Amino acid sequence: MNLLERTKKIKLSADIALASAKHSATCWSKAIISEAKKDERNTILLNNLSAPKMNFKCTHQNFACLKRIRSRKILKKSCDVGIKMKKLKPRRQVSNLATCIAKRLVKKRTQVLKRLVPGGESMDEYSIIKEALDYILSLRVQVDVMKNLVNATTNFE
Amino acid sequence: MEKREETCTELFQFGEESEFQSLMSVVPPPETGNSFTALLELPPNQAVMLLHSPEETAPDNFTSPEFLETPNSILPNSSPNNFSLVKQEPVDSDSVHNSSPNMSDPVISKSTKRKERGKNVKSAAKKSKSVANETDGDKLPYVHVRARRGQATDSHSIAERARREKINARMKLLQELVPGCSKITGTAMVLDEIINHVQSLQRQVESGSLMDGNGNFTGMVSPPLSNQIWQPDGLTPQPLWGVEEMNPNFITPENSLLSYDSSRSSVSLHTNQLKMEL
Repeated sequence: MNLLERTKKIKLSADIALASAKHSATCWSKAIISEAKKDERNTILLNNLSAPKMNFKCTHQNFACLKRIRSRKILKKSCDVGIKMKKLKPRRQVSNLATCIAKRLVKKRTQVLKRLVPGGESMDEYSIIKEALDYILSLRVQVDVMKNLVNATTNFE
Repeated sequence: MEKREETCTELFQFGEESEFQSLMSVVPPPETGNSFTALLELPPNQAVMLLHSPEETAPDNFTSPEFLETPNSILPNSSPNNFSLVKQEPVDSDSVHNSSPNMSDPVISKSTKRKERGKNVKSAAKKSKSVANETDGDKLPYVHVRARRGQATDSHSIAERARREKINARMKLLQELVPGCSKITGTAMVLDEIINHVQSLQRQVESGSLMDGNGNFTGMVSPPLSNQIWQPDGLTPQPLWGVEEMNPNFITPENSLLSYDSSRSSVSLHTNQLKMEL
């Protein structure tokens, strides 16, 4: 295995280990594992790394979760259109421009965040914040563990 | 932090698994929402939020003082507990010193007291929107919300306001978590910082995995930058990350996470699994 492949493998195993440590409590962990399952080469890795409680439920849960979210989004959009038609006229126009700009900025950034967090595309604004919070914490753990690993292996020599 | 590092290195030298298990048993995963309600009480003047099911969970698991000492502990458990513990430190600093059985009671009594005060504050133009409590495993139960004085009593705007307040509460948590965000006002800028932070963490993970794969390799290899780096619109100044030398042969720009003390159980589990793979 050359360097790049090895790096990718290590990163993949670290991600899977991290995600399985969560015991499917968060959306991003399920997303990582379901993505890893799609590739057949990873089955051995998954079997060794996944925590005992995790089963094949994850993929089904993920699909159901996605479906739920999508249907919720459609429902919400149809409701919002009705509300907007009602509310358009009595709304004040004073601070409209500033709020519009601010909303657009926030929307752009949430889109970027959705791309960063694994499994983030199919989440509404509220849950992406929650998932991002959890993901940040877990990434920190990962970085720490890797630092310790590196220190341990270098001190060994 | 040193203790954990020592145990990690010990493991590599001796390969003992008992260390892990002893570490894991020390930190029981907390299961309660007491801290979660304490978290939600932080904006006490805002709409009253009553979470029914998380309040009633047993306070036993939350009592290990050792666990409370670590500021940003991570749990291999449901995510509300994660934020609640992160938030718990500034809110309930005095409860750390209490002995374990008494610990949960001040938290509960505090939250109930604040709720009563909040209810008394609400005055005219009350329109309670009550929905049947649905205690689902995944979702939060429905909340009872009251319209504040002088505000629209439209059911839609109430729902919108409740949603906004939920989002703002989470954003506050995020602000506390990401270093350097507490001074920034405004959702967009905070989100900027968060994005930068996540990206830098991901890059660190990649460089870390590169180093793990190398071993003795002394060259400077740049990690594969497949993701696009998020460039803000030129409105925010780029934060300056501290440069740390992880290894005399390999210098990477890294964020110095001084305040972070990772939890033991998930880390030890993770290390175990990584070790299996290597």
